[in-house]
Amino acid sequence: MDIIGSFALILALLAAGYALVAGIIGIRTQRPLIIKSARNAGMATFPLVTLGVGCLVALFFQNNFSMAYVAEHSNRALPAFYKFAALWSGQEGSLLFWSWLLSIYAFIALFVNRKKHPELMPYVGAILAGVQLFFLVLNNFVASPFALVGTVGASGATHVVTLADGSGLTPLLQYGEMVIHPPMLYLGYTGCTVPFAFALAALLGRYPGEKWIHIARRWTMVGWAFLGVGILLGGHWAYRVLGWGGYWAWDPVENASLLPWITETAFLHSVMMQEKRGMMRVWNVWLVFITFMLSILGTLLTRSGVVSSIHAFAQSSIGSWFVTFLAIICVVCVVAYWKNRDYLRSDNQLDSVISRESSFLFNNLILLAACFAVLWGTLFPVFSEWIEGSKITVGPPFFNKVNVPIALFLLFLTGVGPLLAWRRTSFSSLKRNFAWPLGTGLVVGTIAFAFGDRHFYALVCLILGVFVSLTIFSEFFRGARVLSARSGANIFSSVGQLTMRNTRRYGGYIVHFGIVLIFIGISGQAFNRDVQKEMHPGSELAIGPYTLVCQNFDATSNKNYTAERATIEVFKGNRSVMMLYPERRLYLASQVTQTVVALHSSLASDLYVVYAGRSPQDNNPVIHAYLNPLVRWIWLGGLVLVLGTILALLPNRQPQIVLQAAREPAQIKPLAAPAPAHHAGDD
Amino acid sequence: MITNSIRRSSVALFVFAFAILSASSISAQAPESGAGAKKLGNKIMCMCGGCNDTALKCNHMGGAFSGPCETARAELKELNERVGQGKSDDLVLQSFVQEYGPTVLISPPTNGFDLWAWLMPVIVPLLGIALVWMVVARWRRKMAAADGPPVSPELLARARDGMGRDADD
Repeated sequence: MDIIGSFALILALLAAGYALVAGIIGIRTQRPLIIKSARNAGMATFPLVTLGVGCLVALFFQNNFSMAYVAEHSNRALPAFYKFAALWSGQEGSLLFWSWLLSIYAFIALFVNRKKHPELMPYVGAILAGVQLFFLVLNNFVASPFALVGTVGASGATHVVTLADGSGLTPLLQYGEMVIHPPMLYLGYTGCTVPFAFALAALLGRYPGEKWIHIARRWTMVGWAFLGVGILLGGHWAYRVLGWGGYWAWDPVENASLLPWITETAFLHSVMMQEKRGMMRVWNVWLVFITFMLSILGTLLTRSGVVSSIHAFAQSSIGSWFVTFLAIICVVCVVAYWKNRDYLRSDNQLDSVISRESSFLFNNLILLAACFAVLWGTLFPVFSEWIEGSKITVGPPFFNKVNVPIALFLLFLTGVGPLLAWRRTSFSSLKRNFAWPLGTGLVVGTIAFAFGDRHFYALVCLILGVFVSLTIFSEFFRGARVLSARSGANIFSSVGQLTMRNTRRYGGYIVHFGIVLIFIGISGQAFNRDVQKEMHPGSELAIGPYTLVCQNFDATSNKNYTAERATIEVFKGNRSVMMLYPERRLYLASQVTQTVVALHSSLASDLYVVYAGRSPQDNNPVIHAYLNPLVRWIWLGGLVLVLGTILALLPNRQPQIVLQAAREPAQIKPLAAPAPAHHAGDD
Repeated sequence: MITNSIRRSSVALFVFAFAILSASSISAQAPESGAGAKKLGNKIMCMCGGCNDTALKCNHMGGAFSGPCETARAELKELNERVGQGKSDDLVLQSFVQEYGPTVLISPPTNGFDLWAWLMPVIVPLLGIALVWMVVARWRRKMAAADGPPVSPELLARARDGMGRDADD
């Protein structure tokens, strides 16, 4: 199986290499046969890499511990479900997984467009092949997942060894969500490649019109949604598994995933200026380029050990490969831009600072400021070490202090944007539209202040959250009211019709509402509380409105782990409301412990209970309880964000033409070729 | 007229951005207000090398106990002692920097090269705003140059009449 897998990866490498070289020759000579063969070779990498991945998964299921990767990331007791997750749990497997996802994207992009854009697609195919080639070189020669376990004998010869059992999958990954989170992130990262290929192809080929930007936008939305879901799932996983009561620690690897997501968000806004008004062409092309570069930089940070992170893979020399690749991409982008910069000249210019265009401009500026702040904070310890010789720590307080105001300003712009018209908005209309959402926000803020909310940022977030939500709802309401007046339909069905007529716009508003919910959820952090206490049966712990009474401690085990478990009864006042069972597991293969958090979640707050283990001083069990307000809003916001994105990706439904019945029967002349009648009810 | 309104709105946006950014930088440099050891425990890192947490939040994943490790407990004990001696928060933190190096602080110091950690996230957006301002100003100059002479009401009326006749034809 390992030989078949290795062979498939070598063939995939050759196919990608051929697709790149033949693609360049095809572009130069314009010979259709060569162009077609290059495209087919590019598509062929997908089945070949799939075969390689299939072989590795099969080796996991066969418990083939002569394979180094299998022995390091699996064991016999590992449940079958997690043997899939083992595929991407280490450096070699995750790089293969990356290649596989990239080959899927490339296959779809090449197949869907095989009969479209004949001037553009050869460039797209060659660029995708170039990126695939890089990753396949890594899979074959730098981090092969099919390496064998070997020992060097007395004669100096290497012997293949089959181990009795493997080291097992790290317990942190033995959680259902972890089977979904990394693929989502990787789909997001690799998804940056397709828009990059279209942008660079359009620039190199000086492709006329804005068609490429529509394609790039749709692909960006897909990648953006996957990355966003991946980030949220990562946060949810950290919250449920790591047992520290939080979901985001500004860890370098977390930051690395956030960076391309931010620039993609900027692109999804500024692209509208190019589509509607032919503006911001240079900006958009560079946003796509930078997004791709950030996805590679993120991979470099995760895998090279440049910055220390609990998420990072083992330190290795692979970083130099990524640095070289990143340098090549930079050079290619700069040269392509410089040689074709006249192609990116804008058709129009900004008419007024109070316009939709300027709100996008500010939105982009602030998003890039956030991106810079995160990147700067992530890399600053490295700069500091280079210049001062001593390493410093850039922890969560830095990122919060710098990014919270930026994020709140962005939230403000999210509300302002829909109130502004394209080209120019008068002050009076701005005041008219602004007054009641902002006024209501201030009233809600005042009420919250009166009820004891004294946290400045949480208060501002609440006011802006209300303001943005109301502007979004008023957008739906105003449009639906016009439709309702025309068609006579009720307001709710008019909202549905309105949304389906312009899915992108209204899907976008729903995404904005999801962001508001996420912000409100995050603002709850300001009011987090926690208590840690040694407990024995019968002892109590009070937190917020809850009293936790310890009923019992017991132990369980299976062939994968042994566990200690607490039974906690939760009282609210004098009423027993639930039982919670926080647990602490010891995984036998890796001898690593893992907390299993007991959680009672509501829209108001989460009661989050961790069995911290036995106190090192006197061996008594220790319970750590957290009361985290509004966390559920974050996950709800994520769900709304996904729904909005799906809606925005749907095609618009055209308004139906309703033919009025004639009062008198008309004289109908038979036609030679009768056209099919279209009635409203046919749809 | 338009220029004035643009100026007013831009100034308002600047003021808003400044207010928010300066609020953050002020809070970043606010002096410690005699907070206790618990607050300071969140400002120094656990120096065991096995985790990436503050001494107070030290939570060793994979370890035997999800709570402060021996190193973190020792640091918290030192912290309590120094706070108990009546030293100011800044002095206490400084003593930890002398003992463990600057990496013990959870945030970059606000002196020397490390001050740039705090300054750049403010400077770069301001430069960005200035750049956008310049680009927009250039666009507006170009637009003004491209505009023709003002059209008189008589000329407009004649043009409308002409359009009406063309439409009738």
